[in-house]
Amino acid sequence: MTRLTLSGVSFWYPAAERPALTDVSLAVAPGEVVALVGGVGAGASTLLLAAAGLAPRVVGGRLTGNVERTVASAIVLPTPWTQVSGMAFTVRDEVAFGPANLGWPIERIWPAVGRAMERLEVGALAERDPATLSGGELQRVILAGALAMEPGLLLLDEPTAELDSSGTQAFWRLVRTLAREDRASVVVATSDIDAVAAFADRVVWLEQGRVRGAGPPAEVLVDEAFLREGPGGPMVVLAWRAAGCAGPLPLTVADAAARWVRP
Amino acid sequence: MRRLHPFTLLALAAALPLLAWILPAPRGALAPALAAATLAAAAGPRRVLLPALLTAAPLWFFLFILHGVGGMLVFGVRLTAMIASFVWLVAVLPPARLVEAMVAAGWGAPSAYLFAATLSAVPLLQQRARRIVEAQRCRGLSPRGSPLARLRALRALALPLVLSALHEVDERALALETRGLGAGHRRTPLAPPPDSALQQAARLALLLACGLALAWRLR
Amino acid sequence: MSIRLLALIPVAVAINLALSAAVDATGLPLFLDTVGTILASALAGPVVGIGTGALTSLTNSLRNPTFLPFVAVQVIVALYAWGAARAGLFRNLRAAVPTGLGLGVIASATSTPISYHMFGCSTTGGIALATALGKSLGFSPLGACFFGSFVSDFGDKAVSFALVATVLHALPRRTAARFPLALRAIGLRGIG
Repeated sequence: MTRLTLSGVSFWYPAAERPALTDVSLAVAPGEVVALVGGVGAGASTLLLAAAGLAPRVVGGRLTGNVERTVASAIVLPTPWTQVSGMAFTVRDEVAFGPANLGWPIERIWPAVGRAMERLEVGALAERDPATLSGGELQRVILAGALAMEPGLLLLDEPTAELDSSGTQAFWRLVRTLAREDRASVVVATSDIDAVAAFADRVVWLEQGRVRGAGPPAEVLVDEAFLREGPGGPMVVLAWRAAGCAGPLPLTVADAAARWVRP
Repeated sequence: MRRLHPFTLLALAAALPLLAWILPAPRGALAPALAAATLAAAAGPRRVLLPALLTAAPLWFFLFILHGVGGMLVFGVRLTAMIASFVWLVAVLPPARLVEAMVAAGWGAPSAYLFAATLSAVPLLQQRARRIVEAQRCRGLSPRGSPLARLRALRALALPLVLSALHEVDERALALETRGLGAGHRRTPLAPPPDSALQQAARLALLLACGLALAWRLR
Repeated sequence: MSIRLLALIPVAVAINLALSAAVDATGLPLFLDTVGTILASALAGPVVGIGTGALTSLTNSLRNPTFLPFVAVQVIVALYAWGAARAGLFRNLRAAVPTGLGLGVIASATSTPISYHMFGCSTTGGIALATALGKSLGFSPLGACFFGSFVSDFGDKAVSFALVATVLHALPRRTAARFPLALRAIGLRGIG
C-alpha cells in the first residue's frame, strides 16, 4: 500500500510555456524516506507542491497525469517567516494552529502539540511570540506545526536551510525516527547531498523537470553521470576520488573509514 | 476589567462613543466621555489615560481655531469619548483573547485569521519599510530636491517594499492551505474566554441603551 | 474566497500602513494610505479591496479612532479601483494618473461630510491646516473643509494610482496571472 503515487505527472505554471515537470512517476511506501535532488529549477519544489495537492489547486496552472495520496499530508516550505500563521501570539498556539483548524477536540490537540514541540526541541520557546524568534528557531517551530497535524506523508522543501549544523544533524535523525516509529513517509527536497547519503532510503535525481535517475543512494549518488552532471556528489566520494583511492566509492565517513587501507 | 469577556469589553468601547454622538452635545455627551476617561484612568493613568488625552489635545486645538469655543466643546467632548474608549479597549483586550472569543462564538477560522494576521503583518512590514529607508539613506537618499526627484526617490523606496510583500502572498497561501485553514472544519477554540449570563445581560443592556437614546433623539 | 485572496488582505493592509515611512523619508505631502486598497482591488476585485479598506480603517483606529468613520472613503476607493482595473486603466501612467486624479475628487467629496459633521474637520493635522487656510481665504466652513480634503487628496491619489500601475507592471507575469484581475488591469486581456 503506497502513501503517494505520481503517475506520468506533467505540470505547467500559469502563463508558462515550458512544463515545470514532465512525465514524473514516483511511488512512496509507508516509513520510506525519499530524497529529491537536483539543481535550481530541476522541479523538486514543484513536485512537492503537486504531491501535496497544492499545484494546481492553489498555485494555478495545469497538471496532467495522476496524483494519489492515501493519507493526510503536510508540506513545509523553505522560508519559515512566510509560513507563520500570523494568527497565534505564542509558539504553543502557533504549533496548535493546524490541529485547531482541522477541528480536532482540544484533548487531542495539546498532547499532539506537546509531542511535536518535544521532538523539535522547542518546548522552551512555548510562551514566546513567534515574531521574536530567530530563523532557526522559527524553522523548527514551523516543522513542529506540521508534525502536530500527525501527517502520514511529510513533504519537506529544503527544511534545514535556516538550521545550524547541529540542528541539521538532529533534524535528519528526527526524519529517520519519524519513518521508523510513526511509519511516516517523508519526501524531502534538499541540496544537502551528504545527509541524503546517510539518511535517505531512495534518491530521485531531477533535471529540468524530468526524473534523470532513481534508486538507493549507494547506486544514484556514486553513478558516473550523477557525479559529472548532477548537483554535486557527497563530500566523501569527492575526497575519495580526488585522493585517487581505488575500489567501490564509499558514501559516508563511516563507510570510507571501514574501507580505508592504512599505508 | 481585563478578565471580562472580550465581547463585553467591545460592547462597552462601542457604546460609549455611540452614546456621546447620539446624546445632545456638549452636555449630554459629557457623561459617556467621563465614563470612558474613568475606564482609561482605571486601566492606567499614565499608560492609558495620558496617551488618550495626548491624542485628543491637538484636535481640541484645531477645533478651537476652526470653530471657536462653542464648536470646540461640541466636537471635542465627543472626540474625547471616542478616543478614550478605544485606547482603553486596546489596553485591556489582547488580540489573542478576542480571536479566541471569535472562534468560540462560531466565527469561521478565515475571518478570525483576517483580523489576527493583519495585526501581525502590519508591524512586520512597517519594520521592513524602515529598513529599506535606512538602506537607501546609506546610499545617498536625501529628502531634498525637486518634486520630481523626490517622486523618483519615493518610487525607489516603495516599489521593492510592495513587490516583496506581494511575492510572499503566494507562500503564505500555500502554508495556510497545508495547515488546514481552508479545509472547512469548524476550528477548535484553544482557550475560549469564560462568559457569564450577567455579562450577556450587560451587553444586551448597552445595546438597548444606545437604541433607546437614538429613539429619544429622533422622536 | 480562496486562501490566496484571503492571504492577500493582511498584506495589502500592511502596505497601506507601511508606506508612510517611505513618504516621510522623501518629505512629500502625501499619505499613500490607500495604495494597498487600490492594489488589492486591481489584483482581486471589490470584495478583497473593500476587505482591505475596512481592515485598514479598523487597524488605524486602534491607534487613533478618528480614522474609523473614514472607512467609507476606503470603500469608495476600492470600488473605484475595481472599475479602473476592469477598464484596463492601469495599462500605463498616462491612463493611471488622470484616473487617480478623478479618485482624488471623489475621495475628498466623500471624506468632507464625514470630517465636517463628525469631527469639525479637525482630524488630520495636514488637512486641518489646509482647512484653516481655506477658511482664511474666505470659504464657508464646509467649503473650507472640502478645500482642505481636496488639497491633500488630489495629488495623493494620483501618485497612488501611478505607484500601483508601476507595481502591476513590475510583477512577473507568472505571479500576476495567479490573481484574477491583474492582467486585465494592465490591459493584457480583452475587456468584456
